[in-house]
Amino acid sequence: MVLLALPMVLSSYLVTVFVLIFFYAYLGQAWNIVGGYAGQLSAGHAAFVGVGAYTAAVLSLSAGLTPWIGMFVGGALSAMLGAVIGYLGFRFGLRGFYFVLLTVAVAEMCRIVTNNVEALGGAVGLYITFTGNPRHFQFQDTRAYYYVALGLMIAATVVAAAIERRRFGVYLSAIREDEGAAEAVGVPTLKYKMLAMIVSSFLTGVGGTFYAFYLFSLQPNTVFGIPLSVEIIIRPIVGGAGTLFGPIVGSFILSPLAELARFYFAASGNWAGVHLIVYGLLLVAVVLFFPQGAVPWFRRILARAH
Amino acid sequence: MQRRTFLKSTVAGAAVAGFPLPLRAQPKTIKIAAIHCATGPLAEPGQACRLAAQIAADHVNAAGGIKSMGGAKLDLLIGDTQTKADVARAEAERLINAGAQMLMGTFNSGDTAAIVPVAQQRRVPFLVDISAADPITANVARAVKEGQQKVQYVYRNFPTGTLFGQRAVQYFTEIFKEAGVSPKRVVLMHCNDLFGTNQSKGFQAAHKAANPSWEIVEVIPWPEPPSDLSTEVSRAKAAKPDIIAPITRPASALLLLPELRKQRVESMGIVGPGSPGLYEAGQLTVLKDDLEHVMTSIPWPNFKHPRAQKLAEEYLRRSGGKMLDTNSGYSYDGIHVIADVLERAKSTEPDALVDALKKTSYKDTLMVSSGPVMFNEIGDNPNASPAMVQILKQKPVAVWPKEHALAKFVFPRPKA
Amino acid sequence: MAEGARTGQVRVPAPQGLILDPVLVAQALVSGLLFGGVYSLMAIGLTLIFGVMRVVNFAHGDLMVWAMYLAWLGATRFGVDPYAGFVIAAALLFVAGFVIQRQLVDRIVDAPHEMQILLMLGIALVLENGALVAFGPEPQRVRTPLTQAAVWLGPVFIDVGRLVTFVVAVALTLALSLFLYRSDAGRQMRAVADNGYGARVIGADVRRISALAFAVGAACVGAAGALVAPLLPFQPSTGLQLSVTSFNIVIIGGMGSLLGAFVGGLLVSVAESLGAVFLNPSMKELVSFSLLVVILLVRPAGLFGGRTV
Repeated sequence: MVLLALPMVLSSYLVTVFVLIFFYAYLGQAWNIVGGYAGQLSAGHAAFVGVGAYTAAVLSLSAGLTPWIGMFVGGALSAMLGAVIGYLGFRFGLRGFYFVLLTVAVAEMCRIVTNNVEALGGAVGLYITFTGNPRHFQFQDTRAYYYVALGLMIAATVVAAAIERRRFGVYLSAIREDEGAAEAVGVPTLKYKMLAMIVSSFLTGVGGTFYAFYLFSLQPNTVFGIPLSVEIIIRPIVGGAGTLFGPIVGSFILSPLAELARFYFAASGNWAGVHLIVYGLLLVAVVLFFPQGAVPWFRRILARAH
Repeated sequence: MQRRTFLKSTVAGAAVAGFPLPLRAQPKTIKIAAIHCATGPLAEPGQACRLAAQIAADHVNAAGGIKSMGGAKLDLLIGDTQTKADVARAEAERLINAGAQMLMGTFNSGDTAAIVPVAQQRRVPFLVDISAADPITANVARAVKEGQQKVQYVYRNFPTGTLFGQRAVQYFTEIFKEAGVSPKRVVLMHCNDLFGTNQSKGFQAAHKAANPSWEIVEVIPWPEPPSDLSTEVSRAKAAKPDIIAPITRPASALLLLPELRKQRVESMGIVGPGSPGLYEAGQLTVLKDDLEHVMTSIPWPNFKHPRAQKLAEEYLRRSGGKMLDTNSGYSYDGIHVIADVLERAKSTEPDALVDALKKTSYKDTLMVSSGPVMFNEIGDNPNASPAMVQILKQKPVAVWPKEHALAKFVFPRPKA
Repeated sequence: MAEGARTGQVRVPAPQGLILDPVLVAQALVSGLLFGGVYSLMAIGLTLIFGVMRVVNFAHGDLMVWAMYLAWLGATRFGVDPYAGFVIAAALLFVAGFVIQRQLVDRIVDAPHEMQILLMLGIALVLENGALVAFGPEPQRVRTPLTQAAVWLGPVFIDVGRLVTFVVAVALTLALSLFLYRSDAGRQMRAVADNGYGARVIGADVRRISALAFAVGAACVGAAGALVAPLLPFQPSTGLQLSVTSFNIVIIGGMGSLLGAFVGGLLVSVAESLGAVFLNPSMKELVSFSLLVVILLVRPAGLFGGRTV
């Protein structure tokens, strides 16, 4: 409830920071469904962001279709791509690192193709005109974006919670813990892994639309790039993959950290880049001292306190 | 000493003249945000822009600050986009929050586009010092025209991709004519990233429109940054070029030029429509002779301007050996244009600033141009212009158009 | 030869009549094969670390970039030719690899997979930006007399610099194979790679061997970086690209297989080179990624990987 009232008191800059926290938490939660709960590590989720973003942008620019509808078209296309990747990967028995590489390869291929197709803007990319018109999924006031991003994050968490509670979630954790055993017991592993992938990629695709209409410029190298995939998976992993609040906690830890690091070091002439070193060192520290992620660590602390 | 007495006399003079003091106290400093990509793959030009902006702010302050506002000094707030659009946006918000009244940046068109909505939302004028993608300003102009936005806050003092292409084609044709040769086959090779593709499209479009006597017989793009260009160069060679027209980034230039020589690609010359990588000091150190006689059409400081040489020396000193060039030059100019705008606006109210921006006619630009800095109805400076620069005796020198040339061009390339 | 040229028309990049040009294709094959040596070198260190420790070294590319910078320092400050100085780079990275493994990677051996990836990513970030702070952002390249040299066989030219690197790649692959199959340390490493638990049972000091494997792998990366520095322009941000390419090669060739790394490198390079002839050169990486996807689906163990997935 505090979150709802915050935009009233905070400066526009802090509102922007929160928008980014919520947005990346949303993407992280979407990833969490297949990467955390199902345990299928995907390092190419940027592909879905890109597909969603480009779809909505192209539909808006060429057909004037409002992004409110465009986002679902984008989500659907992302889901289809997710289904293809899932089928290819799971049907052929790719696990662990091999699945990771498959997802990276697909994301890179999307990037290269988009870079070379004129109709999608090629390497120049797409530029969306800022009108501030809600019908175009744009807002004159940054605070509106805050609520949209918050809404997205809550929606994804609700979906994840629903999955966690149901048989779906139970099957997924069985698959994550020991896929062979799960199969032996009769869990339809392929079906549920595919479902997780489809849900995850759909949500991520919808997020892509937000990305496009928040940042107003799409370039293949940014939107399909590995750095974006890394940003997506870092938060749930740091926060606790496979936990409900992991992506959210992770985002609340990492985004402010990045902002602070940049705030202190960005202006320092030749030492530009120090803030990213700090970010990297922090990641290493988190991994060394909280390898299960922040949420399980909190839980253990709380459990011990009782 | 001189500065202090100058200031004192100004204030005294103002008091004596009974200069009407406004009800609100004049700001002692005016905060201007300079946001560039100081880290990430475009760190080098980003850092050059940043340093030039700082030097410019120092110069403005040393010359008395904004006199119409009581000698208010420019306080430069520095931002780093990390070459990422979401970071660019956050930086713009952060610095506006810290009190920036105007923004300048960012070098990378993708990040610049991300800041545009912030400028429009927060009503903070944004002067784009370097970014070539046409839609950055065109989109805003169109939104204002269609009534979606009330005021345009984004202005650009840099040639657009379209302008680059037009001038390049023009210079190609003029130089060929002046040299008395008529090459027919131009092979265009470009890096397939945002900048390279933009330039390539602009160049090809301008060529189609101008329809000169030379043809672009082949277009060869490569993924940037490349690890290997041998096949691309083989393809260029097979197309029997009279002219090789490269659009490169520093990394690809380091591969392309030696490869061209190794594969013995014969041509009348290597003439680029405009790109980095072909003139910087660092590039010259590594490529040495491979860059000799290479030409490229780029925005360039006008070294005939009395202040340009001094600025180049100061920049060399403060940057640890780097040369004043396109990027640093335009960022330096950008701050001065901002100072000029502030001077005429006499206030930091957004509407006053926009008004002053629209009426800009800044003649003291240090860059090669075809007129004073001014902004047309799209918000671009139609007088921003590149010049053809050639590497002669390991130094980049402007060789065309004649009024900006410091030396005669060497074309066709002498046989090795 | 110039059938593809048409006058009075704006060209858009597209495949054209040059397909029929045999010289161009031959040249592409030769160039691709030679450059494959470079790719192979890059991949050898990665496959070793991979094979023995199952560690996904996302910092691979950044380690290599540091080796390149070391070679550059050696060449510009101390006048050491990289073709001689690579030994020093290898030694330095050997130490670095040992330290990284012992102090960092070892601690999270039992942690979930994702943590390992995060750790190497963190290290990659530190390395990349450390290079930025230390060396600045400009791309560098090391010039040696060899890099200028070319030998002509009729209409086809052979890049001497790459030829040398190719030969070294062969030599290094052979040397490493000897080490792995003939020496005690090598045998122990393979034992650990095959069956970590079993190796422990028979008394192998798994921790020390793992550290050694990482160190040797890093040394290979060091050698590769120094040897490749004269051929590639590099800047701090080149690391990511090198990592991705190396992963491609290692998967295609077969994780843990030296021969796989070597052949994989050649294959990927030739595929890209031919791709640059028949397609838009800016899409040539699509060829290697497509190859990767095919391998992943058809034979995930890679061409020469004999182990189970």
